[in-house]
Amino acid sequence: MSDMAHDLDPVTLEIYWNRLISAADEAATGLLRTAFSTIVRESNDFATVLMDRNGDSISENTGGLASFSCILPRTTKEFLRRVPAEAWRPGDVMVTNDPWLATGHLPDFTVVTGIFHRGRLVGFSGSIAHSPDVGGALWAADCRDIFEEGIRIPPGHLLRDGQWNAQMLDILLGNVRVPRQVQGDLQAQVVAAEVGARRVAEFLEDAGLADLQALSAALHERADRAMRRAITAMPDGSWAAEIAADGFDEKHTRIACRVTVQGETMAIDYAGTSPQIDRGINCVMNYTHAYSVYPVKCALDPFTPRNEGSYQAISVTAPERSILNPVYPAPVSARQLTGHLLAGAIYKALAQAIPEKVIAECGGAPTMRALFSGTGRDGASFSQVLFASGGMGACPHKDGMSATAFPTNVGAGSIEAYESVAPIIVWTKRLRMDSGGVGAHRGGLGQEIELEVDTPDPVRLSLISDRHDNPAGGLLGGGPGGPARITFRDGTRPHPKSRTTVPGGERVTLLYAGGGGYGDPKARPREAVLHDLRHGYISAATARDVYGVEE
Amino acid sequence: MFPNATPTARVGVDVGGTFTDLVLHDPARNLVRTGKLLTTPEDPSEAILAGIARILREAGLRPEDVHSVIHGTTLVTNTIIERTGARVGLLTTDGFRDTIEIGRETRYDLYDLFLETPALLVPRALRLEIPERIAADGRVLKPLDEAAVAAAARQLVEAEGAEAIAVGFLHSYHAPLHEVRAGEIIRGLYPGLPISLSAEVAPEIREFERISTACANAYVQPLMARYLDRVRSSLAATGFRGQLYIMLSGGGITTLREAKDFPIRLIESGPAAGAMAAAFIARLAGLDHVVSFDMGGTTAKMCLVDHQEPNHKFEFEAGRVRRFQRGSGLPLKVSVVDMIEIGAGGGSLARIDPGSGLMKVGPRSAGARPGPVCYGRGGTEPAVTDADLLLGRLDPAYFLGGEMALDLAPVREAFATRITAETGIGVEGAALGVQRIVDETMASATRMHLAEKGKDPRRYTMVAFGGAGPVHAWNLARLLKIGRVVVPLGAGVASALGFLVAPPATDMVRSYVARLEALDWARVNALLAGMRAEGEALLTEAGAAPDRITYRPVAEMRHVGQGFEIPVPLPGLTLSAADLPAIRSAFFAAYRARFERVVEESPIEALSWRLACAAPGGSIDLAGAVPAEAGAAPPGPRAHRRVLFEGAGWLDCPVHDRYALPVGARLTGPALVEERESTCVIGPGATAEVDAWRNLVITLA
Repeated sequence: MSDMAHDLDPVTLEIYWNRLISAADEAATGLLRTAFSTIVRESNDFATVLMDRNGDSISENTGGLASFSCILPRTTKEFLRRVPAEAWRPGDVMVTNDPWLATGHLPDFTVVTGIFHRGRLVGFSGSIAHSPDVGGALWAADCRDIFEEGIRIPPGHLLRDGQWNAQMLDILLGNVRVPRQVQGDLQAQVVAAEVGARRVAEFLEDAGLADLQALSAALHERADRAMRRAITAMPDGSWAAEIAADGFDEKHTRIACRVTVQGETMAIDYAGTSPQIDRGINCVMNYTHAYSVYPVKCALDPFTPRNEGSYQAISVTAPERSILNPVYPAPVSARQLTGHLLAGAIYKALAQAIPEKVIAECGGAPTMRALFSGTGRDGASFSQVLFASGGMGACPHKDGMSATAFPTNVGAGSIEAYESVAPIIVWTKRLRMDSGGVGAHRGGLGQEIELEVDTPDPVRLSLISDRHDNPAGGLLGGGPGGPARITFRDGTRPHPKSRTTVPGGERVTLLYAGGGGYGDPKARPREAVLHDLRHGYISAATARDVYGVEE
Repeated sequence: MFPNATPTARVGVDVGGTFTDLVLHDPARNLVRTGKLLTTPEDPSEAILAGIARILREAGLRPEDVHSVIHGTTLVTNTIIERTGARVGLLTTDGFRDTIEIGRETRYDLYDLFLETPALLVPRALRLEIPERIAADGRVLKPLDEAAVAAAARQLVEAEGAEAIAVGFLHSYHAPLHEVRAGEIIRGLYPGLPISLSAEVAPEIREFERISTACANAYVQPLMARYLDRVRSSLAATGFRGQLYIMLSGGGITTLREAKDFPIRLIESGPAAGAMAAAFIARLAGLDHVVSFDMGGTTAKMCLVDHQEPNHKFEFEAGRVRRFQRGSGLPLKVSVVDMIEIGAGGGSLARIDPGSGLMKVGPRSAGARPGPVCYGRGGTEPAVTDADLLLGRLDPAYFLGGEMALDLAPVREAFATRITAETGIGVEGAALGVQRIVDETMASATRMHLAEKGKDPRRYTMVAFGGAGPVHAWNLARLLKIGRVVVPLGAGVASALGFLVAPPATDMVRSYVARLEALDWARVNALLAGMRAEGEALLTEAGAAPDRITYRPVAEMRHVGQGFEIPVPLPGLTLSAADLPAIRSAFFAAYRARFERVVEESPIEALSWRLACAAPGGSIDLAGAVPAEAGAAPPGPRAHRRVLFEGAGWLDCPVHDRYALPVGARLTGPALVEERESTCVIGPGATAEVDAWRNLVITLA
């Protein structure tokens, strides 16, 4: 049992790895099955991760949010700094939603428990999930500091020896609008952590292993080897790119990115990026790191399963007090408006070295969200987020996907279901002609949604959006996608990151941004242009003026 | 010759991609016969007729003696996979022409930047918008523009050459008036044109899934109508006077008429038969909790059969871009047997992943051509069957009952060059590795399937069949900590028995969304009565006696605001406010079973109302399935063979002839039991016994 190296041949390791991924998937199933709120189940806004005794990840659930799985081990190590390994007991569960220690904004709770085997702590099982509420200004990008954004729970015990920490729970639930849902989801996270821990312990028993350390090291080595192999296949060099974002009011923001490859390692640095600002679009370092390594994994080594080893060859740095590494107490609630843009900046840099492995900028990065809340005709209160996505950037060999988000993967629900829970009539939800960036390969189309507030009374509208002034850029000669735009019936436009009130009966049109194009539009085959024209993906004017094709 | 006073023989015919399988049962003569011949893809009815003629000849019967033919087909699935269906036009609500193209807006693989999406069944130019709008509460916000309907239909048929039309309007699931009227208008213009209304095909909330299902129905309808008519007329031409039934994806059988109106409901009819067969075995052996395990050449299928009834679900993904990847296909709202399909079969190929250096098995498969290396048809990559052969589980001289000789030397060579050279693992270790990985893959998928339902594998018995099922069942059960495995006789054809035991059945659904306390009971009762009348008419037409039809009403319910529903059994077909406490507690019981906890204060709503209607299914005396020569062989093993077991090394195993084992025979593992289409592995420490129905029942230590 002591000498694992001999036992861990490529068959055994494959089996053990899959077994641990399955265990993480079962933990995820536990979360999905027992979560009460819709947010986890409907929007996939969660992840489960299994870690070794050092808090290094060994497996994560298959469909989990990539940024979350990347961050959870970091948070676990923070727990370990505060509660050393020898002090953990079975039934202890730690929790936090501190943006700097965890996922960059308050609504995500990180919950971790120990894995015990033969009476010893051998690892950790945890999850991150988006909570229905954390008090403060829900769904807002315009707060001036973190205190407006909700309640912050520092790392602490959620359960001790299997007993809930009543005091902590009282404080938390006393500060949220829907305490029952918040508590229900936390309970589900505890169930998930326990399921993961139980499955790992069973696995160790079946496999006759004393602990996870040797196996973990072997798995990290495999994942690390695969990533280094992929980086080595790239040419050495250093490539820079810059992209602009709308920022807040006159404060436009800029992301400067330099990717340097040397042998088997990659360094990503954001020197030159805008300083942090006093609005909630600052992106903490954990989130910056996660959304930097994820697009690299997609481009270079998409199919090797992930663990702590996957990202060891990549370093990520950003200047302190920049919008990509802000310091407390900066407001951070809508940090995705900045973090989602990093993939585009990195791909723009990498396109200079490995153009065949990256895609153009995505219209759905960042996501655009509109939250309507108020009171319906029947007197019942409602609060519903409209989920929908812009178009993805074009690929080196094909057009971008329409109405699909990247780097996040939050889907959209049914309009019939939406209308049955909110007094809103959606009059139009269709693809937006000409919104895909032109190119040899066209960007994915954004969409157009027109809706009417079907109440006599005013309702509140929270908007979290970008790309109004800075559409998704194309690559290698491809054009930008159509910009985002939000307008009222009279043609006026609300602030894109605001909380406003709109009168009953008001109509709102939301245009979701399209993805950037790839390559010179003149290289687009005539048949592809005619196909786009016939099906209304592009206008006759675009066919003629950009592609030089007339029917 | 005089025809029988009452014809009693029943014939099941399963047209698969490669083979057409037949099974005949005549209770009057205690006769079961099976047959297999190559499918004739240009006209599948050719193989059907040839197969029926042959099986009748072998049984000494004539077409006039056949009471009924039960037919299942992969034609619907294949038409969608190969995109060879009709040119379909769609009429949809103004503003929503892209509903089926936009879909759920998710990526099914988080890391693949270049995802392929399923090709659209209806291209954008053939999706036309009609001014009309109904609100969520059923109010007409904008009346139907009838002239626009007529103009759009003309445009689609005359300018675009549409061969079938689908109509999908918002909120039609509970207010179908506009769809119905549009259907009348189109029918008036083009009387013979197939029309699929979303409110008829799949009357359920959620426009993407409902309208996609209507489009898919329209897409396969012209082809299936022609095909089914041809089967019926050619059967009639042979003198067949009995009933023709069609197998549904949910495991019931139905009339030709329903099959032609809603061909999309046939999409999984073949796999459903396997689950029905497992349910039948469970019924015979009195097993309450069964995992049906069917492993063939390219896939393994698992299905839970609780209380002798296969689990159902009401959605299915067709035509996946990546066959085993959830989310990569076309979501359809149809009633299907709830099964998982894994890329693990006899033909699954082993390789070393260049990135991680680890061994992978499947989902890529050698298929029938070139097949595994041992088939000697040009395969060079080692497959699961090759590993089974090398490990001694299969007899090179007795594959398919000796019809096909397997070659071991090239198999060793393939393992040596493809695996040993890359990893240093010896040839035998590599073969054992393939078996371990493929069994672990199946175990993981089964564990997940059970975990999603909150069920524990240790409570289950496995029923194993398919060519490779009995070879892997013992080890799979061991991994899952399942204590008992039942292997029916004729494991290679057991699946076809499902056709003969399937009941006439139909699943109805209506939508009516309301909170429990606000339900209009008169409306609920009218929905249930309407479904009952329709179900009874259909099943009576299918030959069922009205008094033997059972009706199971179920409501899909959830807490208000939640995004998913759970099926809740209802206490009767005539309900009132007095039933509320019972319904509420049934909801909590179902909720707790699935999600472990309930939140009593939160309001509950119902969305869909289902009625499962079924008549009793058939039964078969399996003794009739034993070949005549059975029992003639002397008891005791006919040979000995060495088999490599994980952790135990090479063990000498007695090899028994399955057909020679009498009822009550007992065996101790390690042992092998061979029959024509499969070999059953009984591992060390396990015991086995032949039960009264000739099942081999393996008990794990």
